Amino acid sequence: MTRLLARLGHILGAAVFLFTLVAVSPGWAQQPSKDNPNASAVQEQQLLRELNRVQGLVSIPDTKEGTLIQPQGREWRHFHEVTLRWIGAIALIGMVVLLAVFYLVRGSIKLASGRAGRTILRFDTLERTVHWMTAVSFIILGISGLNITFGKPLLLPLMDPQTFTNISEALKYAHNYLSFPFTIGILFMLVMWLKDNIPDSTDVEWLKEGGGIVGHAHPPARRFNAGQKGIFWIVVLGGAAMAITGYVLMFPFYAGLNIANMQAAQIVHGVVGVLFIAVILAHIYIGTLGMEGAFEAMGSGEVDLNWAKEHHSLWVKEEMGKTGSSAHTRMTPAE
Amino acid sequence: MARMKFLCDADRCIECNACVTACKNENEVPWGINRRRVVTINDGKPGERSVSMACMHCTDAPCQAVCPVNAFYTTADAVVLHSKDICIGCGYCFYACPFGAPQYPRVGNFGSRGKMDKCTYCAGGPETDNTAAEYAKYGANRLAQGKLPLCAEMCSTKSLLAGDGEIIAQIYKERVMKRGYGSGAWGWQTAYHETIKV
Amino acid sequence: MLIKRTEREARRGKLSAALAGRSGGGLDRRTFLRRSGVVAGGLATLGAMPLVSVRRAEAGPPAPAGQQVTIRKSICTHCSVGCTVTAEVANGVWIGQEPSWDSPINRGSHCAKGASVRELVSGDRRLKYPMKLEGGRWTRIKWDQAMDEIGKKILDVREKSGPDAVYWLGSAKMTNEGSYLFRKLGAFWGTNNTDHQARICHSTTVTGVANTWGYGAMTNSYTDIRNAKTQIIMGGNPAEAHPVSLQHLLEGAEMKKANVIVIDPRLTRTAAHATEYVRLRPGTDIPVLYGIMWHVLKNGWEDKEFIKQRVYGFEDAKKEIEKWTPDEVERVSGVPGAQLERVAKMFATEKPATLIWCMGQTQHTVGTANVRASCMALLLTGNVGAPGTGANIFRGHDNVQGATDVGLDIVTLPFYYGLVEGAWKHWSRVWEVDYDWLVSRFQDKKIMETSGIPLTRWFDATILPKDQVGQSDNVKAMFVQGHASNSITRIPESLKGLEKLELLVVADPHPTTWASLAVQAGRKDNMYLLPVATQFECKGSRVASNRALQWGEQIVKPIFESKDDLEVMYLTAKALGFADKMFKNIKVTNNLPEAEDILREMNRGSWSTGYCGQSPERLKVHMANQKDFDMITQRATTGPAKGDYYGLPWPCWGSPEVKHPGTPLLYNTNLAAMDGGGVFRARFGVERNGVNLLAEGSYSVGSELKDGYPEFTYGVLKKLGWDSELTPAELAKIQQIGGDKADTVSWSTDLSGGIQRIALKHGCIPYGNGKARMNAWNLPDPIPVHREPIYSPRVDLIQKYPTLPDAKQFRLPNIGFTVQKAAVDKGIAKQFPLILSSGRLVEYEGGGEETRSNKWLAELQQDMFIEINPADAADRGIKDGGWVWVTGTENSSKAKMKALVTERVGKGVAWMPFHFGGWFGGVDLRKNYPEGADPIVLGESANTITSYGYDPATGMQEPKVTLCQISAA
Repeated sequence: MTRLLARLGHILGAAVFLFTLVAVSPGWAQQPSKDNPNASAVQEQQLLRELNRVQGLVSIPDTKEGTLIQPQGREWRHFHEVTLRWIGAIALIGMVVLLAVFYLVRGSIKLASGRAGRTILRFDTLERTVHWMTAVSFIILGISGLNITFGKPLLLPLMDPQTFTNISEALKYAHNYLSFPFTIGILFMLVMWLKDNIPDSTDVEWLKEGGGIVGHAHPPARRFNAGQKGIFWIVVLGGAAMAITGYVLMFPFYAGLNIANMQAAQIVHGVVGVLFIAVILAHIYIGTLGMEGAFEAMGSGEVDLNWAKEHHSLWVKEEMGKTGSSAHTRMTPAE
Repeated sequence: MARMKFLCDADRCIECNACVTACKNENEVPWGINRRRVVTINDGKPGERSVSMACMHCTDAPCQAVCPVNAFYTTADAVVLHSKDICIGCGYCFYACPFGAPQYPRVGNFGSRGKMDKCTYCAGGPETDNTAAEYAKYGANRLAQGKLPLCAEMCSTKSLLAGDGEIIAQIYKERVMKRGYGSGAWGWQTAYHETIKV
Repeated sequence: MLIKRTEREARRGKLSAALAGRSGGGLDRRTFLRRSGVVAGGLATLGAMPLVSVRRAEAGPPAPAGQQVTIRKSICTHCSVGCTVTAEVANGVWIGQEPSWDSPINRGSHCAKGASVRELVSGDRRLKYPMKLEGGRWTRIKWDQAMDEIGKKILDVREKSGPDAVYWLGSAKMTNEGSYLFRKLGAFWGTNNTDHQARICHSTTVTGVANTWGYGAMTNSYTDIRNAKTQIIMGGNPAEAHPVSLQHLLEGAEMKKANVIVIDPRLTRTAAHATEYVRLRPGTDIPVLYGIMWHVLKNGWEDKEFIKQRVYGFEDAKKEIEKWTPDEVERVSGVPGAQLERVAKMFATEKPATLIWCMGQTQHTVGTANVRASCMALLLTGNVGAPGTGANIFRGHDNVQGATDVGLDIVTLPFYYGLVEGAWKHWSRVWEVDYDWLVSRFQDKKIMETSGIPLTRWFDATILPKDQVGQSDNVKAMFVQGHASNSITRIPESLKGLEKLELLVVADPHPTTWASLAVQAGRKDNMYLLPVATQFECKGSRVASNRALQWGEQIVKPIFESKDDLEVMYLTAKALGFADKMFKNIKVTNNLPEAEDILREMNRGSWSTGYCGQSPERLKVHMANQKDFDMITQRATTGPAKGDYYGLPWPCWGSPEVKHPGTPLLYNTNLAAMDGGGVFRARFGVERNGVNLLAEGSYSVGSELKDGYPEFTYGVLKKLGWDSELTPAELAKIQQIGGDKADTVSWSTDLSGGIQRIALKHGCIPYGNGKARMNAWNLPDPIPVHREPIYSPRVDLIQKYPTLPDAKQFRLPNIGFTVQKAAVDKGIAKQFPLILSSGRLVEYEGGGEETRSNKWLAELQQDMFIEINPADAADRGIKDGGWVWVTGTENSSKAKMKALVTERVGKGVAWMPFHFGGWFGGVDLRKNYPEGADPIVLGESANTITSYGYDPATGMQEPKVTLCQISAA
């Protein structure tokens, strides 16, 4: 991570240098005489020392080709081939290990009071559609993204290169196209769930008690507890970061972006991507294996009242207090 | 063992673009793909220098390292080539390349990229040498005919040198010693981790 | 896949082995080194590389199975360096270009244009069929119909308005045979209104230089510049205009540690490689040159011996030079005295020194005076007539030197014979037509001997009132074969001419701006476009700037329905009814005259310029044995052409049998006449006002006459007692030509060649041994005088340095003085404060329609632009890359283009490339081209903004200095 930060600082630095290049135009040697153009010729080593890259003018419209030499390409390569793989491996394997350990220690969190047999509508059809659209997109995006970083060492040895290319190319297209449902999903989530995800005082209490994950208490929570709010914000902000950097990568060098911007975008996309996947692994765990009754929220959309009371006591109270049709509970079992 | 390199003597380069059109001519490179280009530094100011740049066929090539599908390979002459059958057009080689060499045809929707295209050192691709199939995908294969890349062969001022690294380094060295100045073997430090000391 | 790679590596291994010298097959070490760019001196330890023949090439698209690949050689058409183009042809298709290693001129190299010429004959954007404008629309017609209608209409114009009403605008991009034939066509038609591009590039050079020392051509050669210790490039940007010449300039400078001085308003790509850059205000070349000469005289650096022996008029020149003190030079040109003293010292004392120029000096109202001043600087320092010295004048097109030589011009018949009666009689003898018949073709004998109208003013000749045009009627018809319209200044004015013409014929590989502007001018009919082949589809000789002739083969047959230039001329002559007479001695097969026969006819008549020894056979031997020629001396050291200089640079005296080797350096007294030596030509008489005009104590090596001598005539031979050496046949011919005045038959009119043969035998140069003139008394300014441009920003200087008074020149009034005065009175310089200059880009040539139609070139320069200094841009709120309007001083002219904000130009100066066309006043004219024949890149023409101004001696236009204003669009 420090390497990454250093790297980002580097890009920033390069940008500042670039600005100076434009502003003050240094870059020729000792300047013996302004009348002797030959003797004042620019020197490669000097430009590289001063600016760390060599920039010039081309007559073709492809202005990015004005970058003559950018040794940073080699650093980016190091990031992509080494740093990112380490970050990814640690984050993903670490998360899987962590969840496994947690599962072994804690097991699945059961409903303390058993099932009430009555359900309450937690997520309506629109919400569930949006969730699953985003989730499916995310999974494919994640897999296709991981393939770019890990496919070569892990998958390629297992198959014929042409097959691997065919798969990778299909995944590349999937990655490009699925970015749209994913992005739209994120936007919908933001609109749908923003008001329930604004942090408030209950979150402090919830967090103090460790959310009940550590220990067996059931601290009160509104529609979303602090943990879920965390996921929400990670998804929204992480999703935004992925979408922005992703579109930058999809429309390379548009809007005057240069090679350093592109590399930075890729670095952010890669690092945020693997971390995002790690977080979502935890989200999947808690929504399935980790907690009894949780999956139903996004499955049928209706959760058992007891589950709701245990995990979202304040929300249930609010819902029950409402008189509108949205606050109904079903007396029939969910099954 | 020959180690093929390019060397642009910027003190000779006049940005005449012969290398660019020779490349287009020899390889029938389409509009918008610039396997070679000439960049002018300090344009219009004393100290102006132009450098002709294409793929430098790096030692330990970054493009080859970052390619997610291993499309690249390095020949025994140290020419870095790639397979358009394997390439998926992800664009990563452009980010890694210190010289802006990889080019992508714009295909289909968005900024979506087709199979990467770049300087082949006039050495074709993985297909059988000097076949129509090889020419269609990669252009000419002069190296297999005992010729050097046309860009360097046609350079108006003999600024752009191609050939065995040791020999062209020697040529450059002699030139610099003879004339007494030299702005450097542009890109060599980055591409080959070496400079030509005069 | 992986398996294949392994295979591939194995194959590569073989090549590596070859390189290490272990096995054959690939390329051997020497070939490899040569291909790596090693040349004589390049890798000092290896010395000159013997040229090794390279394995037959098979690159480019692989040839279709079973097709043989053949190699054909021709000459690049894009500038005057004369690069050999090596083409691979299979099945009649040009499939690839290979480096021309054997050429002693380009040694494998090309520039962007040369490396892309193959695209010209694949020709997506070529004019494919004859086209006719009918009701404002382009309609395809047949060749027969086109020639028939054109012939009738031209004859119609002759009937109504006389032969001078038809203007024959030819080209320097034809073969030399084509250019010659076009001039002959004009002569047989009966007019001197025949011109070509030299008018707008080096007409002032030809006039100025010829009036100094005899011939108006580059004295040395591109490769000879390698011998120079000091190179001054003044008014030229060869890095973009003649890139391959830079190989010789830069490599030469490196080897000699030479001074490279660039004097130019712009810090050009050439200047970037200079050791000294001098920025001057555009249009002040004479003050700067005098400034240099002032320092030379002040410090006694002049070559006194040289001046005494070989220069006339030094004292007169000195008076003018002494007026130009460093203060005055700086006041006028902006160049500081200390810098000029440095330049003067290098030029005069670090010899040999050469002065190189191009259109920066020539394209001015003072163009002739500019080049005269340059010649004076060379004479003053004794820098003429030896290796590494001389006036190295870089011409523009592949055959512009040749087209000039063959008199495709308004002031002379072929080979500078002029238009006097004797000249016509000489050519009537060569052409074997009756002199009286030739006279009868003209309106009258007087106009037959009067210079024609310069192409710069064709539209003035069309639109001015009839009584102001010095011929029986206005120009009513234009027959344009290979000349751009947008390279002529004052485009808004030319539109009026385009509308008014009764007939406009354009024979060209492309429709050109003649088409788009004529339609824009409102023309609806009476216009024809004839598709002509490029030079790669024709055979014939081309004359490079160094006066060397190179024979180009036909690479492929003319594509689509295009025809060879020669065929178009034959068909035209036929339609006009004089083909039989015109082609009396030229074989014609299927309407195509044979190029070789035309060259032989030229050989028979070109004694004045020494074009008589270059038979097609000798030229072909040179092309086939290029490898035998030394790059620096240009002389063959072995093989069938041993002893010859490459391309037999003229003068190549005597008949081909004399085997004169050609003259690589003009006026070089260090060589014998038969080795290509020379002296200044005794062209201007033997004395003037009691002063001797012949050389004193200077002569070429081996001359039996150890002093100056006049030009050789039969009379002179008799005086010397050498006439007895004439063979009876030669004597008979001389007497037949001279009649009762046989004594006056000279080296240039003696068709037997006997006089030249005998002069050479005695080591003498046939044209005599005279002095070069610093004082050219027959020119408007015998000693060059600085004159401010017509539109000058320095109004304060116009009083002291006004342009010449109005006068009638070349059948038309030149009202430069009136225009200059009106501009001052109206305060034009306040409204239009920026100096506007123009010039070349490496990717394009001339009017640029051909090169802008070449996709490989067009991609590299996609927008018309104007260079503007950052300070001027900031004042106007102009951003780099942004659109701007440029407005000009005349006709409310305006043009829209992109701004290139750069320090390349100084403050107060703007610069445009002149190759763009197809826009006018901000309007895109793409729709005006015949469908599918529009160039890929269009843009505003620089000449939309350029303005009035003509050199009094040649009619040269003024595209290098005018005024303009620029504002953000």
